[in-house]
Formats: sequence, C-alpha cells, structure tokens
Amino acid sequence: MAEILQYVHKDGFFHRLHPFTKILFIIVASIICILVTSIPVLVLMVAALLVLAFIGDLHREVIQQLKLVLVMSVVFVIITVITMPGGEIIGHVIPQGVPVIGGAIPITTGAISVGLILALRFMVLIFAFQLFLISTQPRDLVHSMEKLHMPIDYILMFIIALRFIPTLQIEGQRIHEAQLARGYNPGTGMLGKVRSVAPIVIPLVSNSLMRSNVLGLTIDMRGYRTGVRTHIRERKFCGGDYAMISGLCITAAMFTVIAVLLPALVF
Amino acid sequence: MIELSGISYTYPHTVQEALHDLSLELAPGRCIVVTGPSGAGKTTLCLAACGILFHEYGGKKAGIVTINGRDVSAYSGLSEIAKDIGIVFDDPEAQLIFTTVEEEILSALEYRGLAPDEIEKRLASILDQTYLSALRDRSPHHLSGGQKQRVALAATLALGNDILILDEPTSELDEHATRRIVEILAGLKKQGKTLLIVEHKYTHFRELIDTLVVMEHGAISAIGAPDEVLRDGRIKRIVIPDFAGIRDNAAASHPSEPALVTRDLSYSYEEVCALKNVSFTVGRGEFVAVVGENGSGKTTLVKQFNRLLTPTSGDVEILGKNTKNCTISELAKDVGLVFQNPDHMFFADTVHDEVAFGLANLGISDGEKAIDAALTEVGLLHTKDLYPRWLSRGERQRLAIACVVAMQPEVIVLDEPTTGLDGDEARLVMATLKKLQHRGHTVIVITHNREIAEQCADRIVAMEQGRIVSDTRMVN
Repeated sequence: MAEILQYVHKDGFFHRLHPFTKILFIIVASIICILVTSIPVLVLMVAALLVLAFIGDLHREVIQQLKLVLVMSVVFVIITVITMPGGEIIGHVIPQGVPVIGGAIPITTGAISVGLILALRFMVLIFAFQLFLISTQPRDLVHSMEKLHMPIDYILMFIIALRFIPTLQIEGQRIHEAQLARGYNPGTGMLGKVRSVAPIVIPLVSNSLMRSNVLGLTIDMRGYRTGVRTHIRERKFCGGDYAMISGLCITAAMFTVIAVLLPALVF
Repeated sequence: MIELSGISYTYPHTVQEALHDLSLELAPGRCIVVTGPSGAGKTTLCLAACGILFHEYGGKKAGIVTINGRDVSAYSGLSEIAKDIGIVFDDPEAQLIFTTVEEEILSALEYRGLAPDEIEKRLASILDQTYLSALRDRSPHHLSGGQKQRVALAATLALGNDILILDEPTSELDEHATRRIVEILAGLKKQGKTLLIVEHKYTHFRELIDTLVVMEHGAISAIGAPDEVLRDGRIKRIVIPDFAGIRDNAAASHPSEPALVTRDLSYSYEEVCALKNVSFTVGRGEFVAVVGENGSGKTTLVKQFNRLLTPTSGDVEILGKNTKNCTISELAKDVGLVFQNPDHMFFADTVHDEVAFGLANLGISDGEKAIDAALTEVGLLHTKDLYPRWLSRGERQRLAIACVVAMQPEVIVLDEPTTGLDGDEARLVMATLKKLQHRGHTVIVITHNREIAEQCADRIVAMEQGRIVSDTRMVN
C-alpha cells in the first residue's frame, strides 16, 4: 500500500537540504502558483517540480500520487463547468436534443480554463508539499518549527496528523476486510462508498480515538512537551541549500519583473 | 519504588469500581508480574502506578500513590513523572511517532538534558540492548509486531528511568518475539531496573518474576511468590491456560469429504512471495490448527479461503466450489473468518444488532432465532442489549465468533482467537470452538501458540516461510 505524505528514507538532493530551504521552496512555489493565472506557466511549474522530484530521486513517490491528483483535477473541472459558466459555449453536458432538460448545463471555455487553472494550482501545491514532507524527517520538522517559535503543542499536532495517515490507511483496510468477511457488499463506485460509511468509519473512528489516547500519553511520558532539548545532529546549510535559495530568489525576481513589465505572460 | 495504598477508582460515567481498595508495593530492583481476566483492572493499575490516573483522568479516586516516597499528586504533571517512570502501553503502533527506528529513540533521548556525546553513546547502547541496530533506518510502521514493541520499549528506555511499567508487552507476539522481549527485560532486571509487567504469558516470564499478582474485579485476589500463588487451583487456571480434555476423539469428522482444498496455491504481495505451492485438504468437521511464527504466511493463507486475497497461481476449493468463480459475499455463506482483533468489526449499537448485521448481509432479516442461538453458544445471551465495546476483551472475542456462527458457515476460520486472554477465557474460547466442531462445523484456527494446537486440534499444519512444513494428525 502506497503511504501518503510519509517520509522516505533516502539520501537524495532534497533530503540533504536544510528544512528552512525547503520551507522557502514551498512558500515561493505556493505564492507564484496562486498569483499566476496562465495555464502554460502553471504547466511549466508542474514540469519543473517533476524534474526536481527526479533529481531528488523522489519521482516514484510523486508519481504514486498522480492518480489521486488527476482524479481531483477532473473533479475541479467538472465543478467549474457546472458552477462557473463563462466565455464561449462549446457543448452541453446534457445534449440539446433531450426533451425539457436538454442544453441545461453548457460547457464553456471560461469554465474549462478556470477548472484547469485550479487543477494545475492544486498539482503544484500537492507536489511541492509532498517533496517537502517526504524528504524531511519529522524530527527535523519539529526542530525547524521550534526555531520559528511555534508552540510545541501545535508542532506535535502537525506531526501526529501526518503520522496518523498510514495508520488510518492500514486500519481502514483491515476493517474493510473484516466487514467483507461478514458478507458485506456495499457495492462499487460512489454509492458503495456512501453505504460503507457506518461499518467502516465507526470502528475506524472508535479505534483511532483509543489509539490517540495512548499516543497523547506517550508524548507526555516521553517528555516531548517539556521543550528542553539537547541540540544534536542539527542540519547545517550546505552547497545544495545555497544553490536552491539562489534558484528560488532568481525565480521570484524573474516572476516579479515579468509580472510588472509583461503581465500578459503570467496573468 | 512505587507504593499504592488503598487505591479505589471509578471511571467517569460508570458506576462500577475499576480498582477497589488496592495496595501494592514495588520495591527497587524487583519484578512484579500482574495477571488476571480482562476487565480485572490491570491496565488501570498501570495508569494508577505511574500517576496518569491522577493527572489525566476524571472519575472518583481514593488512596495514595507515591513514587520514590513522593505523592504523585505533588508532581506538576506527566512530564515531571516521566523523569522517574517509563511506561510502555500494549499497543505498540500507537506509541511510534517518528519515521525511523533511530529517530524514534533519538527524539526521546534529546529531551533528557544530556550532552550530545552522551546521547550518541546511549543511542548505540539502547539499539544494541534491544537488538535494533540492524533496523535503525527502517520505518517503524513496516516492522513486525515484535519489532514494533521493541522500538516502543527502546524509546522508553531512552528516558533512562529506573522504574519501568509494561502493559501486555507481548500480547500479539509469537514465541520467538516473546522470547526476545523476555530476554531484554531479564537484562534490564539484571541492571537493577524495577519492573511492573502486566502479562498473560506466565510460563515465558516465570524466571523473571519476584512477585506474582492475580487481579479480579479490580482487586488483588492473590499475591506472593509464584509457587505460593499457584498452589490455589482456581488461581492457577487463571494464570496458566489449561486446555486438557478439550480435545476428544468423539467429534464426528469426515476427513474423506473435503470441506476445503488448496492446490499448488501461491500468492505474492508485489515482489514478496508469501505462499509457495501450498497444497492441503481439510475434511468436513475437522478441527485444524495452522501454526507458525509471525510472517510465515498463515493469515495470507486463510484470506484465500474467502477470496479476500485471490491466488497468484493455484486453486482454492470450498465445498467443491473454486473460489475464483465466487464473490466474497457468496463465500461468506460457506466460510466465516474471525480476525485477530475483534474491534475491527464492531460498529453497531447493541450486541444483538452486531450479530444481525451478518445475517442481513445474507438477506436474512428475520434471524432472531439464529441470533439467540449464536449468542447462547458463546455464552453472551445476557449481553444482547449492551454496547459491544463495553464488553471485556474475552467477551468481545466470543461476540466476534457469534457474529460468524449466526451466519451458519460450514467452515469457521479464526486468526489467533486467544490473543490477550487469560487462562480461563482462552479455555472458554477453545471449548466454544470445540462445541462448534461437534455441531458439524469445520474449524480452522491460526495460532502461534503450539500448546493450544497440541491440546485442542485434531490436526496441526505447521507453516514456515510460506510453505507447509509438516502436517500432523493428533487423533485417529
């Protein structure tokens, strides 16, 4: 089972970067992708992130999430087509020949364009955060956030939320199997998913609540909340960090110049 | 040293006391093992002994707990108590926070105010002591149950406390992994650590125990040196499971009529081959135990019986039907599978509704008789209107069996049905299964407990690395 957003133990380019560099990386990527409305530029950003994933030897992990990202992208496009008509009509979801409701939901160029922009932004954000999270040990994340003066309880909440993802994946799978073995057949597709809510989600939530109680006690009993820590094996800034920071500064500067001088290219 | 005197405790929203006027002294360098039926208050005792009950839980409390002479209420909180006591809970999965074994231990070491050199030294020593050096870069989530438990223990050892409390550290572990944990704990005792261990596997811990405590209904019913405590026959049956007499030769099995056949069955998880050319036949009405260490392929094998997994190659036939031609829900009529953790299936509001769920899945809406019969069979008819999760571990295990029995499958498969149960409960579960065999069911039990297999089953199939290595008939 592919684990979502979990640290992968490797020694690639991204792994060697200081967490602060990676935080800067996601800030720059997020700001640019939120400001940009040009589809080609967003496609370029997705491509750049995939190249970076390849350089960091993390392309397999990133590609594993591609299915989820593509499904979400299609959902975005469908939602915008239904809710945000605009521009030229290029067809209809319900053909015009159908009596009464024919031609009810027009497919417009404006809606598709907005949908694609949203989908591409989503891709950039997911890939950037994924590169950050799968290449940074939670311990380093805790240290970096501590240095940014975030309260330890919030840091631990963030770490635990991430850490619970694979646990819930595995637990959900076990519960699903246990119910199937009792002859449960919720069916496939969306309807099946809705039907399986009670037999799967109730045990999942109940078990997780019990587990989170133990987890909370463990955190206290290991003294993580005392905040008094010996600094050991701290990450130091290396050549890769300087190269990455330079690259990010140049990208940000170029984006600002283009946005001011040639706004049509990016907006 | 921990001293509990006159501890009584009632959990919020309940009326029954979880602990009743309990007094216990844990002297330095000693090892106390606490055992008893589920729901007896063993875990609550652990929570009381390390002050968690007094700092984190509501409810009614009475009595005093002191740690090294200091009242636990005088500590500022758990973080301060953690400087004196380390605790390992029974669910190792819930205690693993970080992404590599080394990171898990290192993170615990960092908060002890030690110098960096000292941290590195202790890290190496703990990895060595818990046999985790080779696994230091592995993700804890991908380790076996025994390895996970060792990581949880290692992270607690990192605290460097002299008092350790362990709540069922081996409950889901096989023989090998249990022996490893016992070995580590024996080493810790030798170092002078004080140990309070809740355990059901008395025989494994025998050499370690200075004082054996047996708890029932929130109170201590026996305490003393193991030999002294075990002189009482009733107490002995709680501590040491006695399966004698469960197997009888009178059960009407028909080995010549196959209920289940596997032919050259192989199964691979991505690149890992979990089953290799497994061929065996189980006759109707047989009671078969499948034994083997964790990872030997036992669970993978039984998941093929109802098509939760489909063979990579080879065939499985249930009552003459090839599973490849059947759906999981069709096979559920013939094969009932009870998983190791009953909590994976309970979601209904009452015990009755939980059993009715399986029947409804088979299209039987008026199954009152079947529900009552199944609950009577496992001795739980009186709990019919209770919330399933309120039952004790042993009762929940029997309810899981009832859920499957009500569906009247010919073949009943159980994955480690005695996990976490005391001697009496384990015997009750095995006797229930024997009764089902007498009713004509074919029973297949997965276990890593050889004793259960030898005392209860008609036939023992041993597995190793995805293969059947022996197939022994215990009765003619």
